[in-house]
Amino acid sequence: MNALELKNVCKSFSGFCLDNISLTLQSGCIMGLIGENGAGKSTTIKLILDMLHKDSGTITILGKNNEKDISLTKEDIGVVMDEVGMPECLTAKQIGNVMKHTFRNWNETEYARLLQKLSLPDNKQFKNFSRGMKMKLGITVAMSHGAKLLLLDEPTSGLDPVVRDEVVDMFYDFTRDENHSILISSHIVSDLEKLCDYVAFLHKGKLLLCEEKDVLLSEYGIIHCTVEQLSELDRNIVKYKKETPYGAEVIVSRKDAQDGFKLSPISIEELFVFMVKEAK
Amino acid sequence: MKGLILKDWYMMKKYCRYYFFVCIGFILLSLISSSNMFFVFYPCLLCGMIPVNLLGYDERSRWTEYVGTLPYTKAQIVSAKYLIGLLTQVAVLILICIAQAVKMGIEGTFVFKEFLLLMMLLLIMASVSSSLTLPFIFKYGVEKGRGAYYVMIGVVCAGSLIATTIFKESIQNEIQLNAVWPIACLVGIGIYVLSWYLSIVFYKKREQ
Repeated sequence: MNALELKNVCKSFSGFCLDNISLTLQSGCIMGLIGENGAGKSTTIKLILDMLHKDSGTITILGKNNEKDISLTKEDIGVVMDEVGMPECLTAKQIGNVMKHTFRNWNETEYARLLQKLSLPDNKQFKNFSRGMKMKLGITVAMSHGAKLLLLDEPTSGLDPVVRDEVVDMFYDFTRDENHSILISSHIVSDLEKLCDYVAFLHKGKLLLCEEKDVLLSEYGIIHCTVEQLSELDRNIVKYKKETPYGAEVIVSRKDAQDGFKLSPISIEELFVFMVKEAK
Repeated sequence: MKGLILKDWYMMKKYCRYYFFVCIGFILLSLISSSNMFFVFYPCLLCGMIPVNLLGYDERSRWTEYVGTLPYTKAQIVSAKYLIGLLTQVAVLILICIAQAVKMGIEGTFVFKEFLLLMMLLLIMASVSSSLTLPFIFKYGVEKGRGAYYVMIGVVCAGSLIATTIFKESIQNEIQLNAVWPIACLVGIGIYVLSWYLSIVFYKKREQ
């Protein structure tokens, strides 16, 4: 069973349109949603949760249509939004009590364990938390009720590198269970590169690409050369290129690699930046 | 829905503590005041504003968005606010009832029928204040909702003024006061139920 399926999903606002998005997240996998600010990442997550009403298309979560009994389906979904909207006057302990009466499978022991692991005080008001602490509390809540699917919108933003690494490891551990899946959006592509099995590039509401990460990394390579050398390169094999007065960077398909040009491995971040610039 | 009520209870304890003291103060003042009903009515109106204020705090903390990720239906989210309002209003009404019954008893003016009418009037006042506000807030959000509420109150007041000026004599002659209050009470309850229903309908359509 797929954890998530979006088919031809469209949503338009004034000045923005999410255009015909289709993607599939298999159970046990992690998909990274990469895009600039305003690309449509949060809109996609809100559409999945039926917080926004789609104009057309279908969304299936854990085998169920998201328009049917979504509140029941949400029992199996852990969500972290870019702004963790807990009531400001509540402490972590009180939030735990609220969630205990919210989720059927709330695990108090796990919640207490995660609070301790992430060094979160249980008696301090949420408004006095730093942005990083707020995010950590959001993650703790999302991972304390036996969710099968995590929807994470910029969950690592505001976290220092050490905690970020720790949180990324927590997500990684979560998907060791083959019934667990994660859809995660982030600007910090290095985190996604470490974590994800699949990546989806969003740009101005359009899905540029949705592919297995390892396939992308093995399919493409980057050539660093001078502008003069670039003219010797077969134009037909160039997927994306960037020219500056100091040199050129060219992305090519590895199978089309040309003799005389050194092909280096490409990172997901480089590929994303090239694709977005090309799309502009 | 228990989680939502508990969350609102925690928030009320933090943000609305002074409401409780104001209500107690006004109820005590109503005991020593000979005729001024303001001290009796005001706590009811104040309690009617509690759900509105809680919604304001929810919006500021972005809970209104976050709650959309939790396993609650929109009807439950709306109903929690109505229930918390109802619980506080009932609690205050009980306090007022006791205070007024004691006062009337001491003064030797206790007439059950009059006492009942007063309680009906209080019930209407308590319910109508939040009934008129909440649907606007669930439709437009707290800021815009309050604006729409004030406009509507203006229209209702102006309408009432015009109607009573035109039909003053006929109203006094033809309608028995005792018969009006139970009907008004039923209308008040009807408005409350309608408001609850409309809020759910509006909130279902609203995107988060």
